[in-house]
Amino acid sequence: MKLYCLSGHPTLPCNVLKFKSTTIMLDCGLDTTSVLNFLPLPLVHSPRLSKLPGWVSKDGTINLEKELKDCAGRVFVDSQPEFCLPERELLDLSTIDVILISNYHCMMALPYITEHTGFTGTVYATEPTLQIGRLLMEEVVNFMERVPKAQSATCWKNKEIQRMLPGPLKDAVDVWTWKRCYSMQEVNSALSKVQLVGYSQKVELFGAVQVSPLSSGYSLGSSNWIIQSHHEKVSYVSGSSLLTTHPQPMDQSSLKNSDVLILTGLTQMPTANPDGMLGEFCSNLAMTIRAGGNVLVPCYSSGVIYDLLECLYQFIESASLGTTPFYFISPVANSSLEFSQIFAEWLCHNKQTKVYLPEPPFPHAELIQTNKLKHYPSIHGDFSSEFRQPCVVFTGHPSLRFGDVVHFMELWGKSSLNTIIFTEPDFSYLDALAPYQPLAMKCVYCPIDTRLNFHQVSKLLKEVQPLHVVCPEQYTQPPLTQSHRSDLMLELQPPPMPYRRCSVLNLPFRRRYERVYILPELANSLVPSEIKPGVSVATVSAVVHSKDNKHTLQSVPKPPPVAPSKKRKRVMDEPPVVMTPKPLLSGAVPLEAFLATLQKHGITEVKVEETADGHILHLQAEDTLIQLEEDGTHIVCDNNEPLRTTLRDLVLRFLQKL
Amino acid sequence: MDRECVSLLPRVCEVLAASGSSLPDDTSLEKLLDWFTEVTKAGTSLLESCPCLLEFISSVVHNTTLDPSILSFTLRLSGLVAVTEDAFTVLQQSSVLDLVFNLQHWQEAGLWEDPCIRIGWIQGLRTMMQHPKALGFFVQADFLKPLLQLQTDKSLFVASAANQMLAHVLLSCQSVSSVESNGVDEEGEDVGRSSGSIADLEYPAITVETNQDYAAVVTAISECLKKSLVPRKNSQLHQSLQILKLLALLLAQTRAPLWEKLLQMVADSVYELLAAGYSQLVLPLMDVILAAHSDLVHTAQSARVLLLPLDIITGLNLLTTTADEQQFSMVEQLKNKTSCISMICVCLTNTPQITLTAADCLPCPPVLIVTAVLSLLRLCSGDFSSSSSSSSSCRDVSRNIIGSSKVQKCALEALIALSGSPGVEVKLPEVVTLLVQYLDNPHSDPTVLHKSYQALVRWMSVCSDLSSITDQHRQDLLQVATKRSCDIRWEVRDSTVEFLGRLAGVSVVQTTAEEVSDASVALLGGCCFTTPLLRAALQDPESYVRASAISALAQTLAASWQQGAALTQEHTEIVNQLLEVLSRDTEGFARRAVVRYFIAWLSSRSSHSSPPPLASSSLLMPSVRSVLSRGSADLDWEVKVHTLELAELLLHEAFSGQRGYMKGNPTQTHPYAVIPDTLHTRTHNEEDVVGELNSLVQWGVVSALLSGLVDCDRPVALRACRLLMTLREVVCPLSLGALDATAAMAMVAKVTCELPGCGWAREIRKMLATKAKDAERGCSVGEVVDCDDCGEAGQEAASGGGQTPCVSVCEVLRSLDLDERLDVLTRSSDHVHNSPFSLLQDILTASSAHSQPDTQQEVIVDCY
Repeated sequence: MKLYCLSGHPTLPCNVLKFKSTTIMLDCGLDTTSVLNFLPLPLVHSPRLSKLPGWVSKDGTINLEKELKDCAGRVFVDSQPEFCLPERELLDLSTIDVILISNYHCMMALPYITEHTGFTGTVYATEPTLQIGRLLMEEVVNFMERVPKAQSATCWKNKEIQRMLPGPLKDAVDVWTWKRCYSMQEVNSALSKVQLVGYSQKVELFGAVQVSPLSSGYSLGSSNWIIQSHHEKVSYVSGSSLLTTHPQPMDQSSLKNSDVLILTGLTQMPTANPDGMLGEFCSNLAMTIRAGGNVLVPCYSSGVIYDLLECLYQFIESASLGTTPFYFISPVANSSLEFSQIFAEWLCHNKQTKVYLPEPPFPHAELIQTNKLKHYPSIHGDFSSEFRQPCVVFTGHPSLRFGDVVHFMELWGKSSLNTIIFTEPDFSYLDALAPYQPLAMKCVYCPIDTRLNFHQVSKLLKEVQPLHVVCPEQYTQPPLTQSHRSDLMLELQPPPMPYRRCSVLNLPFRRRYERVYILPELANSLVPSEIKPGVSVATVSAVVHSKDNKHTLQSVPKPPPVAPSKKRKRVMDEPPVVMTPKPLLSGAVPLEAFLATLQKHGITEVKVEETADGHILHLQAEDTLIQLEEDGTHIVCDNNEPLRTTLRDLVLRFLQKL
Repeated sequence: MDRECVSLLPRVCEVLAASGSSLPDDTSLEKLLDWFTEVTKAGTSLLESCPCLLEFISSVVHNTTLDPSILSFTLRLSGLVAVTEDAFTVLQQSSVLDLVFNLQHWQEAGLWEDPCIRIGWIQGLRTMMQHPKALGFFVQADFLKPLLQLQTDKSLFVASAANQMLAHVLLSCQSVSSVESNGVDEEGEDVGRSSGSIADLEYPAITVETNQDYAAVVTAISECLKKSLVPRKNSQLHQSLQILKLLALLLAQTRAPLWEKLLQMVADSVYELLAAGYSQLVLPLMDVILAAHSDLVHTAQSARVLLLPLDIITGLNLLTTTADEQQFSMVEQLKNKTSCISMICVCLTNTPQITLTAADCLPCPPVLIVTAVLSLLRLCSGDFSSSSSSSSSCRDVSRNIIGSSKVQKCALEALIALSGSPGVEVKLPEVVTLLVQYLDNPHSDPTVLHKSYQALVRWMSVCSDLSSITDQHRQDLLQVATKRSCDIRWEVRDSTVEFLGRLAGVSVVQTTAEEVSDASVALLGGCCFTTPLLRAALQDPESYVRASAISALAQTLAASWQQGAALTQEHTEIVNQLLEVLSRDTEGFARRAVVRYFIAWLSSRSSHSSPPPLASSSLLMPSVRSVLSRGSADLDWEVKVHTLELAELLLHEAFSGQRGYMKGNPTQTHPYAVIPDTLHTRTHNEEDVVGELNSLVQWGVVSALLSGLVDCDRPVALRACRLLMTLREVVCPLSLGALDATAAMAMVAKVTCELPGCGWAREIRKMLATKAKDAERGCSVGEVVDCDDCGEAGQEAASGGGQTPCVSVCEVLRSLDLDERLDVLTRSSDHVHNSPFSLLQDILTASSAHSQPDTQQEVIVDCY
């Protein structure tokens, strides 16, 4: 059993598991932090961004004026932002049989894997994962295509040149694998390969293994996966949460008794408790609005935003924000808000019961109804006519490199009354803000990451007790910035097996058993005999028939009657000679009784010699030896076949035959 | 003892001895016992005044078929009766005592299983053990063994009572022995140690044998302590726990020879227990150690013990030397999360006491302890940057307290207490930085935030020199207070608002100008920052926050009131907002706070020596008028009481210095108290009185008082009644007699107030009418008020219908039977119901109802 690690990002994993002749890809995360090296894509012409000086090396030898721009003291690539894909050289992607998706954040690289690689397999995901994942992909494609950039910067990626570049660009890794965003067509093609599954539904893969998604409690339709054969069980835990937010709670008990547990997607903010962050979010929001400023919340169009809106729904009254407009701007805002309301069966119990009242499960329906929350596909169109300040704007993309948020950064960045509140944990907020410096706007960082923290995960592991744990290497040591916090790492016995990008791990577990089926008629013919209480044994002669990783014992076909017409017999045609198997013997020969029997048969002169393993009987008159040992009996008798046969039969009398 | 009660008692005893099931309710016996206890405490001998009790006890003890509650009552009663030596002797001679406390008797009757019998037995004995005869009885009957067994009784109450009893026995034996030994040797008495009431009793004529008996008891108990302290198996943990509790109790109360003896006996076991590290026993063990080290000799040692965990976690060298072994075992203890947290909390709770002890007893200066607490607080919030401990075991320990609000709270409390220690002022900037960090931390628990605010206020008030506070500190605090006033949790908003008010009440010196200002001004820039925040909080959906905001506003504005600053537009708006709250707010807290706001405003004005600043008066007095009328019509009784307080202030302002005016409660002053001369010096000026009385009527003070008088809430009526009496003493003292008064104060008598035709005024008119009728019937002073049954005042007819009737204030004051009313109001409403006589009657009635079930049956049938 092998694990190929194609992504080094602990929360955006992409691993391939080879298990019992199947090749299973676990998640398809796309590392988008690479976009931070690019200039923002402004929706509206920005004089500032269009007049940036190009970059020339100090000695003037390298001139990349067209590709790199100097902005706020840092160098950015002026091109359509590119993403860092999962490793594609480590193994042949066309050999992948299935891809299991655990949540909509972990499938963004799907088109890169399923398209143009020869992939012919199936992708398994839950319905909300597919639908919301589609929305997120659509949104990114839309963001990119709205601001087309003809030029694609490639020169800077030259190794020799990259070495000479300043700042973070110099240290960027695998820049050659970075790719532009896919097209909508590719998205559609990739998603057409998705087959929907429900929680605890068992899907057979080639008869070899069974995979089944379990609720992971992190987002709508998010799942952990169980991959098991009859005798082995691998659990894949990715992006799970034990907090009570909107999704169905996590199914922990089904993870018990795993041989291997692959653990990814823990919280990226182990020291930031989501409740505290939510409180921080609300108070900063209220503070800004009271002072007459605007609040900008860069966020994804699905996920935490539902919880934020729910929290604000309760907070609006207490903070007297009743008249402040809330805007949600995204090409998929409408679909996202509506989708959230229709996936009732994927929601937590509380929200599910609301549906029967009937009430919308999320209170943002009421916010929309009362006109407190308004949503628009873009800043163009209706929004510009209804825009009222001070207000709160939720919009993407959290990287601040593309999407409507770029416009608001340009618009509000200069006033210290305004506040930008970061709630998504995926990007470093300082890096995200880098091209907008100097910034007068207040910045608040309250990342809300509901995924498991180290305390929760160690409790979980104590409970489910996997034999081996595999995890990203980042989880096996304290975070770099807090090296003394030994509580912020996994401490397990035996220690977890760490992986990094491009690792290939041999999972330490050996397959020992295989299940074999037996046909009824064959089973019928068996004659079991009890060899000790409760244990019966029977011999079976059969043909093993293996197909689709299923092994079946069938009756031995009877030799067809020899065709009389053919006179010439060819050896090849001869059916295998079926020999009736000799019975198997069991039991031990009791010495005293055996001697007595010998005597009955006229063998009186017997010398018994004790050995380490049993006895040697010396039949002196016959010049014969009988060695009685624990696991065998030998009769040494030269040139006296009748005697040997007699003796053999005497021995057999004492043994059981199967 | 009440003669009526004594006459009822024999019948009650009969009823009780006959059957207990007919008691009016299950508290009757407790009440009866309380009454007997009270009587005994008053020095009356129960047996002498109620001889029937002896018969009762002896008959009940023989009747084991009785209800166990009656039996338990009898056991306790017997103890109470035998509390004097004479009664004890009587009981013993009549051989009642032996049977009452005979264990076997109860066991054979199968009653011992009932916990109420066991507890009755213990408590009876405990009450009785006030004299050597009782002690002798105890020793001879060998009650010690069963008592030790009861210590681990499955009933917690029984176990606890047994523990108390054991301590009592030991202390009694100690005093007996010490009295004896003192007779020979006068020295050795530790004056500092009190041993309870027993020590005061005298023990004459103690024979050598009895003394040996006592010594045997002491030895037996200490042996038991020693033996049972360390649990041999897990099931004995409970026993150890009980023994530890007993030990802590004993060590805290025993005196020198016994104390040392006890300590010697148990020391080894305690050490063994410490080493074993049972987490359930850590806290009681700590108590024992604290009790053992409570004297001066051991202070230094106990300080070291208490500081050790702090020393280990923070890595600061608080204790210059520590035995490695001690350190090691403590580290092991601290590695367990639960015991680590409780241990640290015990240490923190005791740090303030440590700093109170003499400097030469301390292992380190208080400033270092403050540093350690600060360091601990940083560790709690996961900040390890300043931690000087580097060993991995210390890090293992430190991670146990990350994010623990319990430790944070204890540490903040310690920080508050430490603020007063000498030489810690230098830490102020560091303290402020840390507290602001805590206030800013999104993960701080609301209670932790509350404590942080308290700590900040406390340090501000103790370290009045704020020169070390930087602008950065101020800016950060400003930012954080603004943020917290918008917090999602109302508790936090409440604490923040409260903090803003408290800060305004702390006066500090800013060294730059040597100018005294309040801390709110010094730190936050004063009103221009806080007032808008507080005004926003007036709109808060949570009533507690609104109430706190109102009080905080009062504290913030107090300075400007006192300085008589000119009135601002903002101030007017605030007053309007507050009046709005008083009439509209649905919650009592906010409305109470509004009335208190005006009380504060008014009193700050009256305490101001210079003539009242007109500017604020022009706003204040009309508002006060609204507050009085709205407040006295409020539904919440506390609002009404506060309103009366406001009225009292006005009364005081009007008449302070007038003859007859006593601030506060006239009935509470001692009849022979010397009235200060100053009160007499001001000559009695009728015109002044008339003027003041007129304004009081105009402001609505008189109406407020009258409406309060007829209020159905007793505290309101009581307060109003007292204030009306005060007013009466000033304007028309009864001592002058009706006619004299009228003559002497003709002008005052003309001051009238309105009695509108609704609510309270109708009540007052009814009272006046009744009074008038009585008067007519009596001595025909018919002229006062002429009333019919509708309760309309006579004057109304005179002044013509339709208009609101007016009555003379003096007349009203003199006619309402204020003194009689005060008498009624002072007694609690259930005073009749609660008397012992009523109790006895209830018992008799219940029993008669019980003995005649037929009639009762009928009644029940009737009900259907």
